[in-house]
Amino acid sequence: MEMLWLTAWMAFPLRITPLLHRQAENTSFPVFCFPLQIIGSRACHKALFIRLAESKVLSTTNDKSAVVISAKIVLRLLGWQLEKKKETITESAGRQQKKKIERQEEKLKNNNRDLSMVRMKSMFAIGFCFTALMGMFNSIFDGRVVAKLPFIPLSYIQGLSHRNLLGEDYTDCSFIFLYILCTMSIRQNIQKMLGLAPSRAATKQAGGFLGPPPQAGKFS
Amino acid sequence: MSGARRREEPPHAQQHALANGGGAGPRGSVWGKALRSDSAWHDKDEFLDVIYWFRQIIAVILGVIWGVVPLKGFVGIAIFCLINAGVLYLYFSSFRQIDEEEYGGTWELTKEGFMTSFALFLVVWIIFYTAIHYD
Repeated sequence: MEMLWLTAWMAFPLRITPLLHRQAENTSFPVFCFPLQIIGSRACHKALFIRLAESKVLSTTNDKSAVVISAKIVLRLLGWQLEKKKETITESAGRQQKKKIERQEEKLKNNNRDLSMVRMKSMFAIGFCFTALMGMFNSIFDGRVVAKLPFIPLSYIQGLSHRNLLGEDYTDCSFIFLYILCTMSIRQNIQKMLGLAPSRAATKQAGGFLGPPPQAGKFS
Repeated sequence: MSGARRREEPPHAQQHALANGGGAGPRGSVWGKALRSDSAWHDKDEFLDVIYWFRQIIAVILGVIWGVVPLKGFVGIAIFCLINAGVLYLYFSSFRQIDEEEYGGTWELTKEGFMTSFALFLVVWIIFYTAIHYD
């Protein structure tokens, strides 16, 4: 089922290429096609991560938005929780407790392996979609002025906004600048609308990800 | 145990949302609560989501106006930033009168969704400006 998703979304940009060519002749707005790639890649993400949820990796949280990107973070937190439990366990805790921890470690290892497999597939699909679409946009819009900026960008942004364009008029906008702005705005909003954005707690944990979380007890 | 507690929270919060917002359904009740100054927010994330979406709406509206007028240059960007931050600050401090410390301080509320709204504002501004004032 997931491979069907991936194939469908990979084929989608190839089908709309002729439409884009016709569109590009009349207008210079590539904006409408960017969300399609974004939705497609995120839909693949969601399908694959739902499979991960079924393997009970994500049963510790009911937060729907944690499904997509927070799976890795959840597993990492479970790992920390387990480490903490191992530290607090004493010699007198008994064989049963130790066996229980070993079983949990084994389960965590398996889930981490599953997560890596799923993420690899999804990253491969997203990379392929991205490369295909960028190649297509390059061939259509390279060297063309796609929009006029109502302001003159700062000098270090001009390298992006005036990329491969002739002349010294820095209000000319290249497609890559508009694409990046669309990615930052439309993609984030679509993620939030569809419930695929990571939760704020997960984002904060990811921000302090190099060390153990300050409140590991939150998940105990 | 915390997993069970977390599983209980959303239905509980939803019940509160329904109780506060009336019979308009969960989504309608959230926006109903957002527009009333006397309602309470039991789920902090819900209020932060309202701030986020208000920012996006302001970005779209200002992008359209700036593109149509047209307003050019960094003055436009500066005025957008002031209006975006100012309107939301007035909303959560004067209209809603919430305790900012509960949400991590004024800065946390100010930066909630700001970059996304800024990018959306630029996209809308550029598109409308190009479409209306340039062939």
